[in-house]
Amino acid sequence: MENVDAPSSPTPQAVEANPDLTSAASSDVSSSDEYLPGTLDAPHLIVRLIQCQRCSRPLHTPLRLPCGNAICRSCLPTVRPRTGITYPVAEGREEGFTCYWTGASNCVGEHCVGDCGVDVVLCNVLGLFQEELAFPMPDAGASENPDDSGRIVRWKVDEKGTNSLEDQSAHLSQRGWLWGLYLLAWEGRLPYNATEVVYEPERERAGEQMHQQDDQIRFERLRDRLRAEVDCQVCYSLILDPLTTPCGHTFCRKCVARVLDHTDLCPVCRRKVGIPAAVQAEPLNSTISQIIDHFFADQVASRREADVEDEAGGDHEKDLPLFVCTLSFPTMPTFLHIFEPRYRLMIRRVVESGNGKFGMVMYNRRGREQSDGLGSSTFMQYGTVLMVERYELLPDGRSLVIASGISRFKVIEAGELDGYHVAKTERVDDISLAEEERLEAMETSASPIPDPTDPITPEPPLDSMSTQELLDLSRDFIRNQRQSGAPWLHPRVMLAYGPVPTDAARFPWWFASILPIAEEEKYPILSAVSVRERLKLCARNQDEQANTPSTQLSETYIPQKLVIGTFFAIFLAQVGINFLQTVRGGRRRRQAMELQFPHPLPQLNRRRN
Amino acid sequence: MALPKRIIKETERLMAEPVPGINAVPHEDNLRYFDVSIHGPAQSPYEGGIFRLELFLPDDYPMTPPKIRFLTKIYHPNIDRLGRICLDTTGPPALQIRTILLSIQALLGAPNPDDPLANDVAQRWKDDEPAAIQTAKEWTRTHAMT
Repeated sequence: MENVDAPSSPTPQAVEANPDLTSAASSDVSSSDEYLPGTLDAPHLIVRLIQCQRCSRPLHTPLRLPCGNAICRSCLPTVRPRTGITYPVAEGREEGFTCYWTGASNCVGEHCVGDCGVDVVLCNVLGLFQEELAFPMPDAGASENPDDSGRIVRWKVDEKGTNSLEDQSAHLSQRGWLWGLYLLAWEGRLPYNATEVVYEPERERAGEQMHQQDDQIRFERLRDRLRAEVDCQVCYSLILDPLTTPCGHTFCRKCVARVLDHTDLCPVCRRKVGIPAAVQAEPLNSTISQIIDHFFADQVASRREADVEDEAGGDHEKDLPLFVCTLSFPTMPTFLHIFEPRYRLMIRRVVESGNGKFGMVMYNRRGREQSDGLGSSTFMQYGTVLMVERYELLPDGRSLVIASGISRFKVIEAGELDGYHVAKTERVDDISLAEEERLEAMETSASPIPDPTDPITPEPPLDSMSTQELLDLSRDFIRNQRQSGAPWLHPRVMLAYGPVPTDAARFPWWFASILPIAEEEKYPILSAVSVRERLKLCARNQDEQANTPSTQLSETYIPQKLVIGTFFAIFLAQVGINFLQTVRGGRRRRQAMELQFPHPLPQLNRRRN
Repeated sequence: MALPKRIIKETERLMAEPVPGINAVPHEDNLRYFDVSIHGPAQSPYEGGIFRLELFLPDDYPMTPPKIRFLTKIYHPNIDRLGRICLDTTGPPALQIRTILLSIQALLGAPNPDDPLANDVAQRWKDDEPAAIQTAKEWTRTHAMT
């Protein structure tokens, strides 16, 4: 459906150019150009909200179309059997039609009858319009008062689609604007695309005042009664971004997304929703959207604000959502498979909010006591801020995420938001380089220089080694392991985590990411704030790893290899399928994919397309 | 943790327009936890009894249904010894606390031994309904009328 303002785009000068009209009652003449939502300024726009775009009458048994438009059941285009389609098998899927809005926004042209359920909310809304605006109905036989004592409404309309506007007008007799216009629409005399609508008030002042009152009363009653109909049945608040399911039930877009995290059934009727998990791509119900925006613009605005507030947990300090799962390290990638409903919600919010950041903390498996009053929380206190690099939504709502480590943090205070943890955090950084140098100088000079000829201590104590030597020690360890064919240094692992870093500050992150030992052993590396300290921990972990019996070793590395392998396989398959579909599907598919990738990842989009 | 607006609204409505025969009061220190009591429906074996239940709204309510359990012992084919309830309609988001409690009340009025949770009770209900009803009445007298 086009924007309600659009038909009024022809020059407002046309009104001014007509001296009769402007002089008649300049203050009361209003054209749709000066339209204010939520007011009575342009009554025909209120009536237009529920007019069918095809027959111009108030919608009757409106069907919801997948492109977001609504249409009377009787205005449905000719239905024809769809051939060559065998899946999915469901009632109504074997017939389809070409949409009137083909080529317009979001409409792919063909709809299947099964997707066009009767719009339940819109039906109720129409009932209220009928009750408030059409009563009392004029007597069927009574002839309309032909004299010009009542209000007159004039408009122009392009009836034959030839860009030439034709003047039309109607006497509203002794009726207010809303009442009169609704009845005009009911009789099919007020075209949907009427433009330059001009209202001529009644000459008699008393009568005019009465009509104004009538309009005001009807408008307010209608607004008050509408409000109860446009609450979402999931969150019990005003519907925000109304999305209508194929079965005809309308909810907030975000509520649908949350429902889909748990089930694929409609919250109201339990029929299959049949909306892909990428709810962001679904067109909104334009009729309901416009009605809500017209009558409750202020509430929509405050609701939107409250929504942002709610997602932040209402607590600006605890602003980092936590994923309690594994140990991640700065500059290193983390591969995630998101399947739990609460984390589906969390990742979606993270991606949609645009900053793409969340905190990764590992489980506190041993129930260790944490500092800062966290107690034995379910997660460890130190974690890594991850940035979502790639987000692949699978058709069933699960997702694959590649995120890279940004910085480290320490949880100061934690809370919960919709089932997942959120935390107030403090950034953790390394000590300054000067401090680092001082530490190295102090440690290397304090420790006794070992005698290289002494056979008892062939390896010097770690404290006495220079930072560079510590790095070389670990790099040598890697080289030796690789030469002996250690499976945890398989080329595929190196492909995922990159080659051995030469930077001493970064090396421990890389090392800890791939070393196949328990996460609890690696945790101290994350919280160490000096490069030297981290390298020493790496060196100690080498011993740990070397001392681990090989059977146990193979048990630990296989899952890691498997996880990365599986991940890549799924990922490549997904990319392959997408590529094929892009090639085949052309424009339509491309649109859908762009919507699947919200803006934090534009460069990836481009690469794909 | 902030309480979702839906829970606040539902609680307000429950307080403002209580369901006849059902009383649900949230705990002061945890607004997700309700003490519920349901009066046994008239003309049922549970008539005259007041049954206590506990109801808890999980973190992701209304996406997941409320957790609800009988605390008072009851002899009923769809309620097991631990007080767990077998409801056909286990909470799509559009189902409210009110409707769930109503359907439990209805379940007391119309036991359904064909969809049992307590197998022994259901079997007895099918084999000898008058005797089963008699037991249910006795249980109501001993457990739900004190």
